[in-house]
Amino acid sequence: MANSYWVEPDVKFVRQLKTMGGDTLKKCYQCATCSVVCPISPEERPFPRKEMIAAQWGLKDKLVGNMDVWLCHQCNDCSTYCPRGAKPGDILNAVRGMTITEYAWPGWLGKIVPDARFWWLLLAIPIAIFLVLLGATGYLKIPEGEIEFAKFFPTLLVDLVFVPLATLWIPLTFGIGISRFMKAIHNNAVAEGKAKRNDLNIPDFLKSLVCTIPTILSHSKFSQCTANKDRYLAHLLVLFSFAGLFVVTNIFFVALYILQLPGPYSQANPVKIFANLNAIALLVGVILMISNRLKDRGPNVGKGSYFDWSLILLVLGLVATGGLSELTRLAHLPSIAYPMYFAHLVFVFCLFAYLPFSKLAHLVYRTLAMAYSRYALREPCE
Amino acid sequence: MTEEQKAEEKKGSILVVGGGISGLTATLEAAEVGYEVFLVEKNPYLGGRVAQLKHYFPKLCPPACGLEINFRRIKDNPGITYYTLAEVESVSGAPGNYDVTIKLNPRYVNEKCTCCGECTKACTTEIPNEFNFGMDTTKGAHLPYEMALPMRYVISPKILGTDDAKRCVESCQYDAIDMNMQAQTINVKVGAIIWATGWKPYDATKIDNLGVQYRNVITNMMMERLAAVNGPTQGKVLRPSDGKEISRIAFVQCAGSRDENHLPYCSYICCMASLKQATYVREQFPDAKIYIFYIDVRAPGHRYEKFYKKIKEDENIFLIKGKVAEVQEDPDTKDITVVAENAVTGEKIREKVDMAVLATGMVPNTADTKLPGELKCDPDGFVVSSLAGGGMFATGCAAKPLDVTSSNQHATGMALKAIQTLVSS
Repeated sequence: MANSYWVEPDVKFVRQLKTMGGDTLKKCYQCATCSVVCPISPEERPFPRKEMIAAQWGLKDKLVGNMDVWLCHQCNDCSTYCPRGAKPGDILNAVRGMTITEYAWPGWLGKIVPDARFWWLLLAIPIAIFLVLLGATGYLKIPEGEIEFAKFFPTLLVDLVFVPLATLWIPLTFGIGISRFMKAIHNNAVAEGKAKRNDLNIPDFLKSLVCTIPTILSHSKFSQCTANKDRYLAHLLVLFSFAGLFVVTNIFFVALYILQLPGPYSQANPVKIFANLNAIALLVGVILMISNRLKDRGPNVGKGSYFDWSLILLVLGLVATGGLSELTRLAHLPSIAYPMYFAHLVFVFCLFAYLPFSKLAHLVYRTLAMAYSRYALREPCE
Repeated sequence: MTEEQKAEEKKGSILVVGGGISGLTATLEAAEVGYEVFLVEKNPYLGGRVAQLKHYFPKLCPPACGLEINFRRIKDNPGITYYTLAEVESVSGAPGNYDVTIKLNPRYVNEKCTCCGECTKACTTEIPNEFNFGMDTTKGAHLPYEMALPMRYVISPKILGTDDAKRCVESCQYDAIDMNMQAQTINVKVGAIIWATGWKPYDATKIDNLGVQYRNVITNMMMERLAAVNGPTQGKVLRPSDGKEISRIAFVQCAGSRDENHLPYCSYICCMASLKQATYVREQFPDAKIYIFYIDVRAPGHRYEKFYKKIKEDENIFLIKGKVAEVQEDPDTKDITVVAENAVTGEKIREKVDMAVLATGMVPNTADTKLPGELKCDPDGFVVSSLAGGGMFATGCAAKPLDVTSSNQHATGMALKAIQTLVSS
């Protein structure tokens, strides 16, 4: 703190932060209650008090490159005890959103994904791609006979979209975002004295990453929350069911292309049972998330911004259309089942294509920040 | 020959509700220019919160001296009628012409009392001593405090009908104890009313993160009693759990103040009170380390700023910018650990101390008790004076959080407003 610091307020950043759910930030009067009541803030240079003043002053460089905002799990203990209703929990959430936008590539997509004015455009992109693809190949109609989704939307066409999305688009765009992010949090940690080592050594970092995984899988940080502890279960369900569905997708991918076993698969198939269980867990998880967010937690806890709700509703749409596709297929209702499947693919596209720009990017950014915090020996691996 | 200048005859009476420093001042200011004043106090003594303090800030003199002068002036002024153990029951009428009903609760001790103290010796019942915030007990028959006005013992209704009551009556050789005394109601007609109903400390048990459940966490008003010579420890600042002397102490500023979850406002006095209380500790324990955790130190005005600067010169007084938000107790030693973030260095601090003092704020008594009459209160419960309409005025901490000096200035002003009501009606 002995070093002087040239304050260059970024008023635009403050305004953006306010639209991302940080509208209460100016109420903070720096009492530092938040940093103490936070159950997961570190002993050295704790958050979120310092982030609050940086947000008020528009010190963007102290925020978007700040690993600490990712160590926050929005327990909202800080907001509950905040004497001014400044909602530090909401501010840090907004900063995380701004970080995703800041490091996004291409930048314009980073800007329109969190912008409530463009939700229709984001949906229109996959709809247009699919319509063109199906129209050009002559598939754009409800097929006759036993319902098989491959008759309506050939698996090859599906994979023509999703394989490049998963193997080219996400690695490229997210890779750029991630490398920008890592550089930024490292530089910030070194500059602010939060890191006990000044180099960025990849093998060591990977070791820290490995030792962070159990923390994430067990949600052990999340479970230290008190004010919002019910959010822990919802998040755990959603994370694990997503992981389960990811595994299922890969198994079916192998089944289709390597074992040459096309669907639909029997409901008694163990992988299918596993998939259905995960879908139910995802539905329960996302409904819990919604009810937790809508719950009245008093005036000091916000209910989230468009950035939060767009992901939650996307996941809800994803699981609802997925489940209904399956149910209406089993019920032999082709006029509902096929359009439902189409909608499901639209949501899957949105989830994948906008992953690096939406709140879902926290999956990676938070993991990296938690790993970096261990790497920097702030909370070393045990 | 000079013509005799006769002052205009003073007409009308004023009611002052509350016998703390503001009420006393308003009473005296109005009475000493010739108006008849009725002073009503709900406690069995005059003096209010000030009577509980060890020292005033910033002069660090005992309030006893100022109270004594005021009591002398009250006793000497035939225009003043004061009632203790009294409550205003109803108010009707309009500015210039109010009918007030006052309930006088029984003291069970009459004017024959000589303060010999025999009844206290005879009485065996111990009751929590409210004057010392329950830190010790007092007998069912006792003198409210050493220089109480009226200088007369009081008997707690709790011993009514017990053998203790009989023993008290028998012990009194002056026929001063009358256990058959009943509550009475009297009516007075006044032209203006000054509400000086005062304050109480914020209920610290409502703050769930500052360790109020631990014995060695006390409030600032308890600290005043601990330090006062007529307090539970005869003025020695010892920690409650084991009577240990203080080597390290923490003051927790804004305990429930400037906090939307508790009191949204600043109580004005707590910073100065803690700085003052640091001198109590320093005087008794020259080497004790004193930690004061604050959001901002509010020492308004030149004299208070000077006091603050003087305190800061003490090498063993540490002022830390950062509010305490967590308090722990060591279950074996009963030591207290206060946790804060130093907002200047950005480090989390865990300071282990013998005792912590919560600087709790002021709650107007009107926050949870509705006063009779057409009185307006602000959302925090402070009484709003009807300066335009006249007749009803609030002063002291019934109007806003104030220190003693400002209370006296405010009360003088409100005495004048009351007089203006009488003159214009």
